[in-house]
This record gives sequence, structure tokens and C-alpha cells, in this order.
Amino acid sequence: MIDFSEYSPKKPEVYAYKCPECGTLDYPAPMICKNCSARRDPSGEIFSAWEKVLLGGRCKLLGWTRVYALPEGYDEKYLVFGIVEFKNGLRASGRLLMDNPRTGMELETKIGIVREKVGEDVYGFMFDLPKK
Amino acid sequence: MRKVAIVGIGHTIFGNLSKFDLVDIMSFASANALDDADIRKDRKIIEQVFVANMGGGILNHQTGIASSLVSRIDLEPAMAELVENGPASGASAIKVGFAAIASGMVDVVMITGGELMRTVTGWQGTDFVATLLHPEAEYNYELTLPAFGGMFARMYMERYGLKEEELAMVAVKDHENGAKNPYAHVQIPCTMEGIYGSENAHIVNNLIADPLRLYGMCPVSDGAASLILCAVDSPKMKYFKKKEPIMISGIGSATDTHCVHHRKDPLELKAVRLGAEKAYAMAGLTPKDISFAELHDPFIILELAISEEVGFWGRGKSKEAIAKGVTRIDGKLPINTSGGLKAKGHPVGATGVSQVFELTKQLRGEAEKGRQVKSPKHGLAVNFGGFGNNVVTIICSKE
Repeated sequence: MIDFSEYSPKKPEVYAYKCPECGTLDYPAPMICKNCSARRDPSGEIFSAWEKVLLGGRCKLLGWTRVYALPEGYDEKYLVFGIVEFKNGLRASGRLLMDNPRTGMELETKIGIVREKVGEDVYGFMFDLPKK
Repeated sequence: MRKVAIVGIGHTIFGNLSKFDLVDIMSFASANALDDADIRKDRKIIEQVFVANMGGGILNHQTGIASSLVSRIDLEPAMAELVENGPASGASAIKVGFAAIASGMVDVVMITGGELMRTVTGWQGTDFVATLLHPEAEYNYELTLPAFGGMFARMYMERYGLKEEELAMVAVKDHENGAKNPYAHVQIPCTMEGIYGSENAHIVNNLIADPLRLYGMCPVSDGAASLILCAVDSPKMKYFKKKEPIMISGIGSATDTHCVHHRKDPLELKAVRLGAEKAYAMAGLTPKDISFAELHDPFIILELAISEEVGFWGRGKSKEAIAKGVTRIDGKLPINTSGGLKAKGHPVGATGVSQVFELTKQLRGEAEKGRQVKSPKHGLAVNFGGFGNNVVTIICSKE
């Protein structure tokens, strides 16, 4: 029986990683906990695996830019990028979905395709105005 | 620790050199350094070559560049290695060369940095530099160095009240210097009217990464630069009588988080501050002792932020220095006398070496008419790797 499961659509999510020793969250995944120095093992075979914690929800915009020099293949005039801070204090960079952001504004996290590679769509953070 | 002197300097013009081979342009700059040091015939006294390059493997499909360079200028059996630290590869190679001499391992080294970036399209060049970002959390999003430059500029302008007009004044100042530098990529001056406030300014000076415009960004350049260093206590100093030796009086470097979002205050360039503190301590100098500086400005906002982090003035105070003309060639503390990355260009692997080439030229009193600093004693260069995650500061002094 051929296993086709790896070809089935995966639910696009972005995770933070939780240190099993002290509970510190980090994104992206570190190899050593910055708080208690515990090790992470991507295979989970030598050291204990770190719990994946879904990262998202409401966040605050810290800084942003509109980039007009775009990769080949984009039809848009510009892409908007920003750095945000989530409620749990973690921060991330990502794409903004509005044309006129304002530093300090509250945003809602979505996950979407942020880069198309041959044979693979890359999912990542997209930040939008919160639903009223 | 042994004292180390710069005894030879070489440079190619920066610009579009894509009809040449990477090692050709690096060896041309190296041969210029041999001639400047007057040791072309005695070149085998060089024991070690450190080559700075970031993208030979990606852009030019070329590896083993250090070995190739040594062979092209007939320097065998000198030892040869490549040093890669992104856009700060040049200053890192100088640091490693300095350490090799200071430790007593060797007496004479050559440092050559070079990059051939215009063999690919503009976007491919930008994408190549972006490979130094975090692959999952930054690069995957199509984030680029100009994008981080734009975000940094907006945060700085919002916090410190810097205006677009003041940024344009820095660009005009850098182009004024670059226009007098025969090695600069862009040797054309620009006017305030041309890039700010006039009817067509927004067309000439279009947005690239809002709020940064074309004249807030460096060009994509090819080019190479080279230095020869010698231990001051070495008998081999007898070969270097033609030019005044310039001392490397301080070197320091530091790293910061790979992801920009990990920094508590994204406007704090910690690696710049820590690297500069180490360089000042080694040289026994303070920011007040510095006569002029070459500061890494691929995005014009960084000239201002770096000048603050190295202690020339407080955070957010650059606009006062701009208004008073302090950083102009005839000001109290000229910055980017070469035109900076903004006008001189930024072949990434060459930049750090080119900055120290400029310090040496100024300290020898050899800069071209109209851009020679008056009686300089100490020059400082900051070579900024990543988006500030690996930064090297070098101080050069007259003996």
C-alpha cells in the first residue's frame, strides 16, 4: 500500500517552541533555551522534544515598510512588511495585508502563502486589520 | 601584542565590472597594493593572504577563491584562506590578518576583498544578500535587507523626529564626496532640489523601501580593494620605505541576534556599540579623538544610527550634526569622505577593505583635492554585517 499522506494538504500553521524545563517560549526554534540553557533536539531522540505552541491571534505593529523592488513574478506594485509583538511577548516579521498601516495599531494574524517555490508553497504570517 | 602597520593599499574602480572575472578584479587590486608598497618584485615576503568575499560560490559559481588569487599574482607558497562574514567580510579579513601578525605567527600579510555582483539581475543580487537572513522567519517572507532598512528608517524617524529632508541632505553630502573620488561607482553630485521637494523629485528619487528612496540606498557594485600589513617590529619593515606606515590602533567586533525581531529595541545596534567600545579600548582612544569616519551606509539611515552608536553624539542627535554641517568634508567630524557605500558603491566582500583603504589614504594625506580631511590623526571605520548582527570596527592612526 503506497502512503500518499505526505501529499495531502497540511493545515498551515506557524509555531513557537516551549522549553520543557522552564516553559520559555521562543520563535523561531532555538537549539539552546536562552533562559535555562536546556537543549532542544529536532529529532526528539537524544533530548526531549519541545512542545509546539501555535503562534497567532492579536498583535501590535512595531514597525513597517512598503517595498517597491519586488522579486520577479509579482504583479503587485509593492509588498508591505512589518514586525509585530504578540500578546505573549514574542515578536515576528511578516507580510501586512493593508495598504496604510500605522505603527502601534492592533492587527490580527492570518497564515497564508508568503513564497512560492517550485513544488512547494511556503506558509507564513500575514497580518491584517482585526475583524470588527 | 605586536604593533601592525598598513604598508600598501590598492583599489579598483567600483561599478559595473561584469566583463571581468572575479579573481581578475581581486588580483588587480592586489597588484595595485604591491605597487603602492613598492614590493612587486619582492612580493614573496608576503606569508599569508586573507581573501574577503561573500558570493563567489552563489553569484560567480566560483570557489577556492583565495588559492586562485595567490596563483594569479604569483604569490605561492603563501598561505591563503577565505573569510566570509556577509557584507562585513572585508573588515573581518583585516581582523584575522591583524591577529595573525599580532600573535607572532607571521610578519607580512595581504588582505584582499572583492565582489562581482552585476553578473546577475538586480533582484537576484538583492536575493543573494538576503540569504544571510533567518531562512524560516525572515528570508521565506521575501524580506530583504532594503526591507529591514526601510523598517529601521521608519522606526527611527517616528521616534526621533528625523525628516525626509534631513536624510536627503546626507545623500547630497555623500555624493559630493563620491564625485571627487576616482574609485566611486557614482561620481555624479546630486542637489537637494533634484532629490527632495521639487516637482520631479519623487520621480528622480522614487520610493524603494518606504520611507527610504533611491537616494537613500547604495548601488549594486562590483569591485575590489587590497591592503598589505606588516609587523612594526619585523626586519621586513625595511622593504616598506616608500610610503608612510599607518597603524591599525584598534579593532573590535561583536554579534547580535540573527533575527531582527529578537532585539528588545530594534533601533539599538548593540554589535556596533560593543565592537566600537573594544576598538576604542585597544587604541586607548575615545570618540572625541576621532578625526573622520567611514560608516557602513547601504541605507543612508545607518550612517546616522551608527554615528550615534559609536559615541560621536547621543541617540537621535544626528539631525543636529547634519544641520550644523559637522559631517561634511570641511566639518568638525567628516563622515564618509569616500562617498560612503551610498556613492562609492558596495561590492559586499570589498567594502570593509575599501573603508580602511580610505582611512589610510586620508591619514597619509593622499586624498584627492576637495576631499582631503585637514590634518587627520585617527580614522574610524564600521563595517556592518547582516542587519547589524556581526559588526567590525577598525581604528587607524598616524604613528
